Amino acid sequence: MASVDFKTYVDQACRAAEEFVNVYYTTMDNRRRLLSRLYMGTATLVWNGNAVSGQESLSEFFEMLPSSEFQINVVDCQPVHDEATPSQTTVLVVICGTVKFEGNKQRDFNQNFILTAQASPSNTVWKIASDCFRFQDWAS
Amino acid sequence: MCSNERRQGPFRYTGRKKDRVSSLGYTGKKTNHYEDTGHTILPSKAWGNGGNMETRAVLWNPSVRHTPYSGRRKSREEEHVEDQIHITVWRDEKAQKREVEQFTEDGTLESWFKVTIPCGRKCDKTQLMNSVHSLCSVPFTPVDFHCDKYRIQFFVQDSSIAYALKDVSYKISSEDFEKIPIFVNPSVAPYSVQNRFTREQMEQLKLAMKKRYDISQHALCLKKLRFDPDLMNHNIDMILNRRSCMTATLQIIQEDFPKLLSLNLSSNKLFQLDSLFDVVKKAPKLKILNLSKNMLRTAWELEKIRGLKLEQLWLEGNPLCSTFPDHSSYVSAILEYFPQLSCLDGRKLPLSTGMDIEEPQLMKPRKAIFKGSEAIKNQVQQFLQDYYLIYDSEERQGLLSIYHEQACFSLTIPFNPSGPDLSSMCGYFKDERDVKNPKEFHIQRQLLKYTKEDIVGYLRTLPKTLHVFNSFQVDICFQMEKTLCFSVSGLFKEVEGSSQECIRAFMRIFIAVFESSSNLCIVNDQLFVRNPSPDEIQGAFAISSPTSCSSFKLVLSQEQQRMVQAFSTQSGMKLEWSQKCLDDNKWDYTRAAEVFTMLQTKSKIPKEFFKQMT
Repeated sequence: MASVDFKTYVDQACRAAEEFVNVYYTTMDNRRRLLSRLYMGTATLVWNGNAVSGQESLSEFFEMLPSSEFQINVVDCQPVHDEATPSQTTVLVVICGTVKFEGNKQRDFNQNFILTAQASPSNTVWKIASDCFRFQDWAS
Repeated sequence: MCSNERRQGPFRYTGRKKDRVSSLGYTGKKTNHYEDTGHTILPSKAWGNGGNMETRAVLWNPSVRHTPYSGRRKSREEEHVEDQIHITVWRDEKAQKREVEQFTEDGTLESWFKVTIPCGRKCDKTQLMNSVHSLCSVPFTPVDFHCDKYRIQFFVQDSSIAYALKDVSYKISSEDFEKIPIFVNPSVAPYSVQNRFTREQMEQLKLAMKKRYDISQHALCLKKLRFDPDLMNHNIDMILNRRSCMTATLQIIQEDFPKLLSLNLSSNKLFQLDSLFDVVKKAPKLKILNLSKNMLRTAWELEKIRGLKLEQLWLEGNPLCSTFPDHSSYVSAILEYFPQLSCLDGRKLPLSTGMDIEEPQLMKPRKAIFKGSEAIKNQVQQFLQDYYLIYDSEERQGLLSIYHEQACFSLTIPFNPSGPDLSSMCGYFKDERDVKNPKEFHIQRQLLKYTKEDIVGYLRTLPKTLHVFNSFQVDICFQMEKTLCFSVSGLFKEVEGSSQECIRAFMRIFIAVFESSSNLCIVNDQLFVRNPSPDEIQGAFAISSPTSCSSFKLVLSQEQQRMVQAFSTQSGMKLEWSQKCLDDNKWDYTRAAEVFTMLQTKSKIPKEFFKQMT
């Protein structure tokens, strides 16, 4: 019984992750100005150890980033346990890939998101609750 | 001639007197300077005394007073024309009326104009002003410059300048390609002109500032200038948040301290920086600025002085500091105004490296970022230490108590077409069915483990490891009342099997709930394992000595693991150094402790061997 439910949650998480990753990196590369809309108002981005909080700060941060070309190699996702986020369907998405920022060399990166489902009349909308990005080989 | 002599006498006397008094506070170098000055003045001493006596005589003899006063008044009028400084001496009604007439006449002859430039918030104000100067056909000096996010305002004197500025209207475009208008309107004299200091006051201010100037450092300390005893004794209200006071100060800096390198303006109740807009031109070599303990409310005030190439800046003690959620965002914001800054509030900022030169636009990385309480930070660090001590041990069964009953775990091996050969990672490929069919986009579904028994059972099948703790980078991603999400990345060494001695890179994400006030219970666990780049390996092991590397060959027993942990806790040394110490003493805990104590007493243990106290 529990196992069957778990599998259902996993399938839901995988579909959400697949759709989200497509939307996120397309928006990041091509429609940068709309990117902050994917984040919850209370979301926090930790970008190579630098914390950015709040819609306005996120907009400024993404505006400041040079233009990008992301390539996704692997995506992993898990449903987050109810006990961690009560009454809020939540998914953990982990991405590994390469990115080239304008004026910089290509780099491998890891990024992980916590997405929460927002109720909507027509369909489920996933919003970013947290975002953590790190280059793989860029030590402090 | 006689009148001229009489005018000069009192000034020389006053100057000389001040020098003598000032010498009491001088350093050795300045004393020498005074002696030089004294030497040049000495031959005139007798004459100076004569002048002084004459002054006293005038004061004592009312009948003679009027005539000399009249003469002096004429002299001051001449000075006024020459120096363009208003002289206000209300000694009698006639003189007062004449001064009023003088002011009115002056106002009529040289009318003032107020210039307003509504340029919008995105406009670079410094750049815009440079454009105005270059396009204006008549050179001008803005008086009482003021700007906020939406517009620039200043005053100019002389109608020819006003007309020239009108001609520049709509000839400058903003970044959005909108033409910028310039409005010019007749105006009364600006505040700082109406409150301009007298020549005597300027002279007094100059003397006070010279006492505060360190010639060897080219440093000027104007901290709490309002309470300077010399200025207070002369009833001069030098309040630097007033426009006229700062204008006078900058004028003296330009004239007398052209090599100024460091300026301390702390504790002057500055609430905006409009009056410092000119400082770029008046103190072009300025590199160090102290604005601490003032009343600046937003970081945007720095926009007005961003033309400075500051290397050191103090801002602590201003309200603006508390507008940032944490120190790193505060630093980032200030670096936007002063990219060359190397020191903020007395703390060194990360130095530029070649990498930064290549990639100037990307934010600098931080080793770790912790928001919230120190308790969370310590809890995460302790958790990781405990977790990987068990993970690196012979048996991983001890992890069972750390996972939630219904936790889930997944392992991912990223496929990178340009990456190194992956065949050596077969230890992690047991369940990888799709590895031979790489896709641009690949989702792992098969490797999800559910329930703690399945997770720990699976972890026990993975290769044995020894994690390099000093390679860890930790991020707190997400935090709620009972939930914590954190990630850790770093390196580990495989210690058995065909891949023995191999170094791997990993990235791990944990989502945990607080089981009690001190226990973290894992509900989600995700692991990436990959081959590291040569740079990563070199970086992680740079601190360790070759001898230390040998310790990674050891396979420690559970008892030895506990000894390492206990030794590290008691000595404060990092785990790898604790392990080495115990190993060097053949795992005799007591003897290892004695050796450690002896070496520590002799201060022979390097600081980097110890854990970071931050």
